[in-house]
Amino acid sequence: MTLTRRDLLKSGAAAAAAGAFPASLSARTALRPELKTRHVLLVAFAGGIRTRETLGMPANVPTLASLAREGVVYSRTRTANLGHFGATMSLFTGVSEARGIRENARGPDPTLFEYLRKDLGLPASEVWISTSGGAQQTNYSHGLHPDYGTAFGANVLDGDGIFNSEFKTILESYGRPRILEPAESDLLDRMRQSLPGDEGDAQARATVEQYIMDELTRGTSELRGPNSADAKALRVARNLLSIFKPKLVSVVLQQADVAHGNFNAYVEVIRKNDAALGELVEAVRADPDLADSTAIIVLPEFGRDSDLNSRRGLDHGDGSDDLNYVSTVCWGPDFRRGAEVGETVRTIDVCSTVCDMFGARARFARGKRLPKLLA
Amino acid sequence: MGILATSSSGEGDDPSAVGLGHRTLRALHLDLLGRSPYRAERELWHGGVVGELVESILEGVECWEHWLEEQLYYFLLIDNFRPQSDSVRSLPEALADRRLDVRTALHRIALSPNFDQRNPGADTFVTVVMEQLLGIEVQRTPRELEIGKRVYDGHPGTFLGVRGSSQADVIRIAIEDERFFTRLLEREHERLLRVLPERRALKTWCIELDRDPSAYTNLIRSWLLSDAYRARLATRRELSNRTFVRSLFVDLFDRLPDQEEVRRLGGALDGLSDAGPLRSTLVRILLDSGQVSIPDREELPSRRAWIADLFPRFLGRAASAHELDTFAESFKDPACRSETVLYAILSHTEYATY
Repeated sequence: MTLTRRDLLKSGAAAAAAGAFPASLSARTALRPELKTRHVLLVAFAGGIRTRETLGMPANVPTLASLAREGVVYSRTRTANLGHFGATMSLFTGVSEARGIRENARGPDPTLFEYLRKDLGLPASEVWISTSGGAQQTNYSHGLHPDYGTAFGANVLDGDGIFNSEFKTILESYGRPRILEPAESDLLDRMRQSLPGDEGDAQARATVEQYIMDELTRGTSELRGPNSADAKALRVARNLLSIFKPKLVSVVLQQADVAHGNFNAYVEVIRKNDAALGELVEAVRADPDLADSTAIIVLPEFGRDSDLNSRRGLDHGDGSDDLNYVSTVCWGPDFRRGAEVGETVRTIDVCSTVCDMFGARARFARGKRLPKLLA
Repeated sequence: MGILATSSSGEGDDPSAVGLGHRTLRALHLDLLGRSPYRAERELWHGGVVGELVESILEGVECWEHWLEEQLYYFLLIDNFRPQSDSVRSLPEALADRRLDVRTALHRIALSPNFDQRNPGADTFVTVVMEQLLGIEVQRTPRELEIGKRVYDGHPGTFLGVRGSSQADVIRIAIEDERFFTRLLEREHERLLRVLPERRALKTWCIELDRDPSAYTNLIRSWLLSDAYRARLATRRELSNRTFVRSLFVDLFDRLPDQEEVRRLGGALDGLSDAGPLRSTLVRILLDSGQVSIPDREELPSRRAWIADLFPRFLGRAASAHELDTFAESFKDPACRSETVLYAILSHTEYATY
């Protein structure tokens, strides 16, 4: 089903949504006028994935292989085994983040979401992250740097946490809330305003609230299979792009980490995630507002060990090139086509590269712009 | 008069003897039980004595059930990774009865199959043990990590200065390490008092607990009756999503949600960087469900008095004159339902903090 913003507005939040998206509708020109790119989809094809099972075996990943053929591949992208959480955060901050594997807290450095929002004056509705790893991954929204922080954070939605049938069932057991009449709504606002504290952007919140309620009815909750959480993250990203056409949508996948205990299941997750990525890419190609103005960047946070462990799975800790080097695929209207760059780049270069494409500056990032990218 | 009190106890500076105000009553329940007080508890304890309430809560199993939940969440042993074995499920009762201590409890959690499943493989497992149990930054101690991985794989080695040769040894060595109580007390102090402990005091506590781990309850009691806890009451922090869900149910239904409701609703809220919109949705859904006992506006003998009672109940403070006037004036309008009044308070950021 192709979704439009009109569909969302028709579903009940028209006034709130319209008020919350002025920049989304009007800011359609690239801030670097020489570039065609107006939207970026950044996919952290994460969970620890070796190049061997992706571009090394194109039959597993026809979508990724197709993007690679039509774009630029950095086949030696250096990364660090900082744990999934820290290594993925590094993609967004441009700084190698030594974070605890189970640490559930924000990092010290600004993210590319904050750089974009602050430098470009973007509202939160222009910058989204769709995740599959639960509570921990909401920390990617923003860091704790005093110059940036929560006011410039991204909207994070964890597809599996929100769009699951059990949650839907619980909500339905209490019934749908009654729609507030304008007079009641005015009185509500009046009472709220008499209470101390900042309510934030009430209209933007109302839009997110409405989007969630609508998404619960779209079938995302019903996705099943070994990659269901990742598939939901990709489906949510597809719908966000189609409906809101924001500047940046990031997706964080996770379920390939099943590799620790089962190599075959790991390959299966890669195949299914590639198929789900294919739906997302097709949605971009089919949308006249996105097809010629969207760049897609796909890379894992790190790879995996060279050899199988005793459980016939793959861990990540042997320091091998399979672990420390991954492949980055870049596809878009401004990128070279069919190019492979053999020189070593780093996963942390992605942050500066995306910022640069929008004319923002990743001030505290340690990465550089990816070389030989633009046509 | 200190923050702990809204009425004078006449007991000078002894914090344990201070009278209980709404804010303290609510805060102690949220901190120790992960929920707001039931109606009966409010009626029983309001105006009572802080020390007696703390004593009563610390003696109960529910306090340790909440403690266990906090630990499981810290290790991200949630959803599919939640331990189901009797050895973990029986921990709250055993802790309340003082049949075992917190070190043993955390040892059992780390030994559970779910901890292993959550942290698969030598690298992840040993890293998490070092980081979560001891607060070690593994990137600074790569050699120790490598030794730990070999021990995990069944090879003999000296990990953190102690000989071992198995996955269980990795856990045992960490649990017995001198940094274990340091890490535990740092995060518990931060959780309850919202600041890291002073280093010298921390060292003293660790020595004491290393000698007698059962002294942990006494330590927590002393924190809660300290001036530092009074100071913490002057700060506000966002409720965790689980605590928000549990408190909302207690405040509206005077009962806790079942485990599945907490898991699903809390999990959904955890899936958002800003849970505000979904919290607000949840409040509306519950208020409009027809399952909450809400008086009709026409049945209220005094609408103003009803509103005045909501503020201490939900926000732990009295309404200001401006708030009371605005709410009472709004409530005169026929378009304003009792649910609207409740929605205004429960969807506001102040309700989501404590």
